[in-house]
Amino acid sequence: MRSLFAQMNLLSKLSSVWMALMTALAIFGWLIPLPNPREYDPEASAAGLFTPGHILGTDAGGYDLLSNVVNGARISLMIAFISVGLGGLVGSVIGILAAYRRGRLDYFVSTGFNILLSIPNLVLGLALVAVLATSSDASVPIAPSRRVIIIIIALTVVIIPILGRIARGATLTWINREFVVAARSMGMRDKDIIVRHIVPNVLPAIYSVLFLAIGVVIVAEGALSLLGVGVVDGVSWGAMIARVAGEFTYAPQSMYVPVVVVALTVIACNQLGDFLRGRLDLREGKI
Amino acid sequence: MRRVAQIVVVIVGSTLFVSLLLQLLPVGLEELYVFALDEAGRQQQIRLLHLDANPVMFYLYWLGDFVRGDFGSYVYPTGVLDPVAPRLGAALPISLRLVVYVQIVALAISIPLGIFTAYRSGRRSDKVISYGLFTAASIPNFVFALLLASFFGVSLAWFPPLGYTAPGENFVEHLRSMAMPVMALAIPTVATYTRLLRTDVIATLREDYVTMAASKGLSNRRILFTHVLRPSSVTLFTSAALNMGALIGGTLVIEQIFSIPGLGSEIGLAIFSRQYFALQSYVAIIAIGYVVFNGIVDVAVGFVDPRSRERTNA
Repeated sequence: MRSLFAQMNLLSKLSSVWMALMTALAIFGWLIPLPNPREYDPEASAAGLFTPGHILGTDAGGYDLLSNVVNGARISLMIAFISVGLGGLVGSVIGILAAYRRGRLDYFVSTGFNILLSIPNLVLGLALVAVLATSSDASVPIAPSRRVIIIIIALTVVIIPILGRIARGATLTWINREFVVAARSMGMRDKDIIVRHIVPNVLPAIYSVLFLAIGVVIVAEGALSLLGVGVVDGVSWGAMIARVAGEFTYAPQSMYVPVVVVALTVIACNQLGDFLRGRLDLREGKI
Repeated sequence: MRRVAQIVVVIVGSTLFVSLLLQLLPVGLEELYVFALDEAGRQQQIRLLHLDANPVMFYLYWLGDFVRGDFGSYVYPTGVLDPVAPRLGAALPISLRLVVYVQIVALAISIPLGIFTAYRSGRRSDKVISYGLFTAASIPNFVFALLLASFFGVSLAWFPPLGYTAPGENFVEHLRSMAMPVMALAIPTVATYTRLLRTDVIATLREDYVTMAASKGLSNRRILFTHVLRPSSVTLFTSAALNMGALIGGTLVIEQIFSIPGLGSEIGLAIFSRQYFALQSYVAIIAIGYVVFNGIVDVAVGFVDPRSRERTNA
């Protein structure tokens, strides 16, 4: 079998290179000598590309854009990976169990998913963050690090029903296949059937959606920031976008950097998700 | 009937969920909304806002008010209550207008485009458009909003970059103020719809009755628009309807960027000024609207495509 990378078309290859680069920046970006992302340069406000000292320029507040992109990748991708990982895990476990057990458990779980999905995901995330991030004194906002945790919790809640429903649906298509029925009639324990027969078959469907979900979360982080409940006065892509959105009438040129980075990352996630789904269809087709 | 019951369960569930959210506030509701200094005044305000009720009764009080058209109030430190209903009455139509414009523009562009790309399936023009659409569908709407705002709003100054004009005031200015928000939401939407319609049209084109129609000598245009479009459009219209939720979420952000006084701005204001009773009602209204709308679409799809009706009844 050829390696996964070799099977990709050009766009998917570029997408995986981009995601690898962003992940590397998120992990090792602090090693690059760059200006402090939180320190404004009073001599360079709204500087253009390739200004000496600020390769990608600065925004209207004089903050270095490259430094914010690199350091923002850490928070934004951390939020995306943790909430999708956690939400995917919890959602899959609940979805698979509900579909395997059927009956009352399944009814409660699917109703619960439907209830959460009945609130548009951005509205749900917004309400959760707004409520959880309330401080007792209106003039003292809560600390950015706590805010990040709250955003992760909120977006995890958003992701759980999305992936849970997919895991449930995928499980339902497998539980009546011959090999599962055979395993059951041979007296295999439920736990082993799920681990040995169901999970390996359901996982590919989940993988492809995981990438789409990462894209959804990165967009949500930006949107929450624009609505004023994101990583306020922190360093994240959403915070950058919120800043440039507030200033676009004075400094439209400093908008392109954060906007392009976010757009490319979401495109890359969707492209990879699409590639994995295509492979999945191919595999299903062979059966 | 079962479907109606299901809708009711989901509505009760989601409004209860939002109501219980208020119990999760790290700060007590009393601390946020009870300002009277003397004990008698405090007790009166607590009773007025039902803060002494348990979570379930608190929800039932809210539900009782809600179905009677009382959507709660902004509570000010002076103890003054500013009801939400008139604010909602002003904001909701603006957001709905935005969503409807987006759907009209998106469908008007994606239907011909979807048929065209399906008809030319596999040729270069289809490939170029399809890749472009895939990319456009992935780009977040606020990215389009910011790019449009800086290009058409600031650099070229064709459209006002901020603000909203009511249609009754000046209809041309109204359309101008809505042009960029609508475009920002419509571009990714067009991309999604076109891809869906393209897939379905390609599948329909392989049906025998299409070959039959072609062999009868009907013109391509006649075949595409009368024989192919209707059976192919079910997925498109269903997902256009399901997309209402995403669009409502999108309008919140887009309204914020373009300073449009719709539901998004009201929600932003409610969060900023920590008016959670108002927030509860806003979120509930979005959820109810979305669920009811989806229910209606389910039924409507049955009329457009009788095949699906038989499937669900069986």
